[in-house]
This record gives sequence, structure tokens and C-alpha cells, in this order.
Amino acid sequence: MLCKEVEELVTALSDNELAGPERIVVERHLADCPDCRSLYQQQVALKQVIRRAAAEMKAPLELREKILNDRRVFPPRVVTGPEPRPWASVFTRPALALALLVLVLLPVIYLMRPQSPSLALAAIETHDKITRGEVTVIRGDSPEAIKEILVRSVAGEFAPMGYDLSMMNLKPVAGTVQTFDGRRVLVALYQGDGGSLTCYTLVGTERDAPPRAQAFFDADKNMTFYSYSVGRTNAVLHREGGLICILVSAMPMPDLLALARSKAAPSHS
Amino acid sequence: MDTESSLGYNGRVGWRSKSPKGEEERQRFARDAMTHLDHLYRIAYNLAKAPDDAQDLVQETYARALGAYEQFAPGTHLKAWLTRILYNFFVDRHHQGKRWVSVEDSTAQKNEESDPWEKMATENPGPDSHVLRQELSVQITGALGRLPEEFRAPIVLVDMGDFSYVEAAEVLSCPVGTVRSRLFRGRRLLHGYLKEYVGTKEPA
Repeated sequence: MLCKEVEELVTALSDNELAGPERIVVERHLADCPDCRSLYQQQVALKQVIRRAAAEMKAPLELREKILNDRRVFPPRVVTGPEPRPWASVFTRPALALALLVLVLLPVIYLMRPQSPSLALAAIETHDKITRGEVTVIRGDSPEAIKEILVRSVAGEFAPMGYDLSMMNLKPVAGTVQTFDGRRVLVALYQGDGGSLTCYTLVGTERDAPPRAQAFFDADKNMTFYSYSVGRTNAVLHREGGLICILVSAMPMPDLLALARSKAAPSHS
Repeated sequence: MDTESSLGYNGRVGWRSKSPKGEEERQRFARDAMTHLDHLYRIAYNLAKAPDDAQDLVQETYARALGAYEQFAPGTHLKAWLTRILYNFFVDRHHQGKRWVSVEDSTAQKNEESDPWEKMATENPGPDSHVLRQELSVQITGALGRLPEEFRAPIVLVDMGDFSYVEAAEVLSCPVGTVRSRLFRGRRLLHGYLKEYVGTKEPA
């Protein structure tokens, strides 16, 4: 091989950029050719000289300062408080912020859901609808017949609380089954000269009383009665065992409360 | 070596897209980039041939790099990525975007004719020849400055920047074979300018 053909490859060899058959050819040629060997050595020496010179060349301090002070390179840090808060970055990521918001809001929504108030208020609302004839009720020939129908409608799980309100000229005339807040509610309608009264029986606890209801503790019976009103319709709620009873009527609250206290006793035995 | 991944972009078509990163990552990137300041300055100085120009080139390179740091693929060759930004900016500024201003063969030939390379190849400076360290840096810079840019750039990248041929070709946007031939011709000229400073020893 002619020297002219090899010299460019000699450059590549000095840069360690030659491999395979080319390398073998060049190395063989160098072994036999003092001129090209000299060329190779010059290339290596030149590289070393340039490299050494480069190592001595440093960026001026002035340039380093300029870059460190260049706001495009090192922008001033945005700090929202006296100290950077690691969680603050959470709000810069929309997905994380949304997830966090949902996590915070879910329990709040759960706690704020119209649970007990709606149930208690639904009783009042239903009473008004029944008295206005907007709710279909099942008329029964006797209190026993009405009770039997209602018990059957909840598969015998519980029975409506029944009161003898004859002294107030009220007698049970009809019944219906409603669903409040997903719970089955047995409704008994009392009517007579004294107006009308509805009695609601459902499985529940005292937590079903509206938060703003007035609590009255009856020491003799060791029971608490919760009274509340919507407009002119009054209601008294109390618990008997695992059941809740709500009496709703337009009669004055003291009368209704007295009635509930006097009659309260387990009746589904 | 996988040149595309080593330089952190997809060929010459477009930058590899990256998801947005935080401010902390940006800071870290800037600090990493600063470790290549001396290298970038050397390249800039020998490309631009003027200290003030070199400083502007480097500062602008950092500004551009930080403006586009999200396009850099972590784990790839940051030095090469920064160097490419620097070189592109240099080309934009000094040649209105005209890359690889073609070297007239006649020009190169003329240089080579007046160059004592052919003789040098056969000369043996002997064991007494040595590298004069005094003024070396100045001499090298001066000699490089006399080279046409097409020869200077590959030498600056390969010899000063320790780039492979492939990496240099990526920075310069030219074929690897071009890098090799221009290195050869550039060094031939450079050796002529620096022969007093470069010696070789014939192995025993």
C-alpha cells in the first residue's frame, strides 16, 4: 500500500479511531515504513501538545461570574414563605392538587351529607303530604289490620309503634311504607276530632335527630326526646331500643311532647 | 457508540420530548452544565479567536441550554449537547447560519504546497527535540487561528474537547469521514506552524 493511501488512516490510528482490517493494514505498513511511522509519531505528539495547551486554558473568573448572575441560567428562587415548603410544590402539579382536593373534600362531603336532618325533615314533609292527600295510604278496618300490613311490608323485621290516642280523639286509620335516606319507614296515620298525627317507625339511633332539635331528658323513663319543627308542623323523636319513633302533628309542641313522653314504651314486643 | 442517544436528541429532525421537570431539576442541570465551563470556553475561544466573542458565545450557550434543558435526555452526553448548542450559535452568529463554509480545494492545496509537511514526514527531529512549554498555549491558539475554520473546528473538538469522531461529526453536522479527512489535513497544516514546538522520538 502506498504511503499516500495510508496517511489519513494514520491520523485515525493516532486518535484511536481505527479498528478491524484497516487497523491491521496500517499497523503492518507502519512496521515497514519509517516515514509513515514518523508521521504517526508526529500526529501523536501534536495531539499531546494541543491537549496540554488546552488543559492550561481556563474560563476567566469574570465569565463564570457573568453566567452565575445570568437570570436566564440561574433565575432567583421563588420563595413563598420564610422557608421553602416542600409540599408547596404539590400545588404546582394540577393532578396532585386535584387528588389532594378530592381527598380532603370527600370526608367533608360525607360528613355534610344531608343524613339525619333529611330523614327527620322527611317525616314532617310526609306528614304534610299525607294530610294534603298527596301520599297514597292504605286504609285499614282496624288498628290491627293496619299494623299487620305494615309489618308484612318490612318482612316482619320490625313493627310500627302503636299508641292508644283515643283520649285525644285520635285513632289509627291508615298506614304506608316510605323510604327515607334508603331506610324503610313505617308510617301510621291517626285522625280524629283533634286533627291528625303521623307516627314513623324505623331502624335507627338518636343520631337521626336533627342537630338543632331540642333535647329533653325524661329522668323517670330514662329517655331523651328531641323536638323540632318546620313551620307549624311539630315533631318529637325518641328511641326505643333499636327503633326510632317520630311523632308528627300540627298540635302544639308541649302537647305533642307530653303525648310522646306518656306513651313511650316498646310496643313491638 | 449510539450517537443519537449520546447527544440526547433524535438525529437532526427534532429534540427528544421530555416531560416537564421541577425547578430543583433545573437547578441541578445548571450546576452540572457549569462543570463544562472550561471546556466550552476553550472551544469557543478557538472557534471565535477573540476572548470577548468567546465569552459571549459561552454565556449565550448557557442561556440557550437552560431555556431548552427539558429537551436534554438525562444520562446522555451533556458535554456534547452543550457543545452542539455552542457550535450552532457560533455558526448562526459568524456565518449567518451557513454551516461548513466549503473549503476551496485550491485554497487547501495552496496551503499544503507552501507547507513543509512532506519534508517533515521524513525528518526526524531526534531525541533532543522537545515540547517548549513556554508560550505553548499562546502558540497553539495562534497556530489554530491561522487554520481555516473547517480544519480548526474538528481539531478543537477532537484534540481539545476529547470528542470521538462520531461525536464531533454530530456537533458539526457532517459525515464522520469528513471529520477524519479534515483532521488529517488540518493537522498537516498545524504541524507546519508548530514544528518548533512538536518533536517526536523514534522508538529504539
